[in-house]
Amino acid sequence: MKIIPLLAHAGIVGFESPAAEYTDLELSLDELLIEHPSSSWIALAVGTSMTGVGIFDGDILVIDRHETARNTDVIVANLNGEFTCKIIDFTGRQLLSACPHHRAVSISEHDEFTIEGVVSRSVRCHRPSPLFTSKS
Amino acid sequence: MFALVDVNSMYCACEQVFDPSIRGKPVVVLSNNDGCIVAANRQAKVLGIPKFKPFFEVKALCEKHKVVVKSSNYELYSSLSNKLMDVIGRFAPEQHVYSIDESFLSFKHCAAIPDLHAQAMSIRRAAWKETRLAVCVGIGNTLTLAKVANHAAKKHANYHGVCVIESVQQRTEILKAMDVSEVWGIGRQLSKRLKELGISTAYALSQMPAKKARRFFNVNVERTVRELNGAPCMSWDEARADKQQIFSTRSVGERITELNSLKQALSQHIAIAAAKARKQGSNCRTMMLFTASSPHDDRPKSFRRTLQFAYATNCTVTLTKAMSNIVHELFVTGVRFYRIGVGLINLEPQESSQFELFEQKQTNPALMQVLDRVNARYGRDFMFVASQGCEQKWSMRRDYLTPQYTTSWQDIPKVKC
Repeated sequence: MKIIPLLAHAGIVGFESPAAEYTDLELSLDELLIEHPSSSWIALAVGTSMTGVGIFDGDILVIDRHETARNTDVIVANLNGEFTCKIIDFTGRQLLSACPHHRAVSISEHDEFTIEGVVSRSVRCHRPSPLFTSKS
Repeated sequence: MFALVDVNSMYCACEQVFDPSIRGKPVVVLSNNDGCIVAANRQAKVLGIPKFKPFFEVKALCEKHKVVVKSSNYELYSSLSNKLMDVIGRFAPEQHVYSIDESFLSFKHCAAIPDLHAQAMSIRRAAWKETRLAVCVGIGNTLTLAKVANHAAKKHANYHGVCVIESVQQRTEILKAMDVSEVWGIGRQLSKRLKELGISTAYALSQMPAKKARRFFNVNVERTVRELNGAPCMSWDEARADKQQIFSTRSVGERITELNSLKQALSQHIAIAAAKARKQGSNCRTMMLFTASSPHDDRPKSFRRTLQFAYATNCTVTLTKAMSNIVHELFVTGVRFYRIGVGLINLEPQESSQFELFEQKQTNPALMQVLDRVNARYGRDFMFVASQGCEQKWSMRRDYLTPQYTTSWQDIPKVKC
């Protein structure tokens, strides 16, 4: 039997799915969480000094270096060679915790101190993500 | 006007981005397999740590001066490079990424930027603020002069990392202080011959009549001479020319003494080289395979075979099969293999491949496409030809490797709260 290897178009092909032109609108969490992809970095929060602003041990931080820190922003700083997440207090030249058990850390000129970005988002995995446990 | 932006000791700088405890310290980065030093930052160079020396020769010196030693972490470098290139690209209408740490920018038709020096300062500031990588910026009339300016910006501290060549007088001064071997495109061989002719500075080269440069050397040297005088001759597309050869070669972590391991190691190198060839759209007609014991062994041994293909191909399966057929010729019992490699040479563009009348085409482009896409999505070697083997004892040694901070969830940096 001979077969014409072409799709036969009989004129009526039915309507294209009305949803077809909306397929590009899929939501992406990247879009929500990372405003400046080339100047943002992702880190793991370790410790309990920031629970007052909703950052708990094991949360994921999105840190944006494009943003310029304003007074009382939650920031990540390099304090003497260690990354630390605190509230910046420019007027008092100190780093504040968001937890009653932690005292403010004042920054002196002998400290090595740089701001490593503004914490723009934090993410909590209420069930642990397999990405952090399975060794791929 | 063109700018060349490049990172100061890129590899070392990348190591410091996510480890603030080593910032400001001397850092060196080792080659694949921790063989020798491929990068040293300013602080390490000041201590007299030489580049391209075998690591074992300078290990004691590094320990004495508390130099931070790192294995090369290309996953981290390329991820940070992408981010940096994005940031730099914001500052000009056109960008050409020239290498992992260098990017050209074009300010053609840019009357809107009246002060290029201020623009260059903003690039430098933004790069540091947003990626924590320190860059130098050189700006000139031509690509070659942009390179010259960049060189000056790096050499002399009083430029503060930014040099714009705007006047002839300034250009002359800078060229006079620059060795001819530092000029873009003038290699070691050429500079030797130039010095024999009494041309030892970049300025002397720029004073050579362009026609003479062509007669004595070649058209590329002529263009360099013209570019040094401010006449644009090169376009950056040429700097992107496809590679004519692709090599994947490495010394192995643990000496190979079995035929099967050798086959696995060669398979992996074939996979790497073939993926590169597919990426640039090239096919190869000739594959070179080589295996060797260490040149420092008592009786060094080396083997080399060249395979010709009737069909130009970039198919991992085809290349691996061809290797499997002759791998026994590259192996001798009792030799402890240390260095192995694969070279794809005689490359031709995919689209211009010749068809043979009697030869059956054996490649499977669809399969290769799936392979590349899966590996691009899930990481290198997520999917591979079984002959690579699963347990790769011979794979790279990276004793001083930093975590993959930006490409692996398990390795993201920790922040104290």
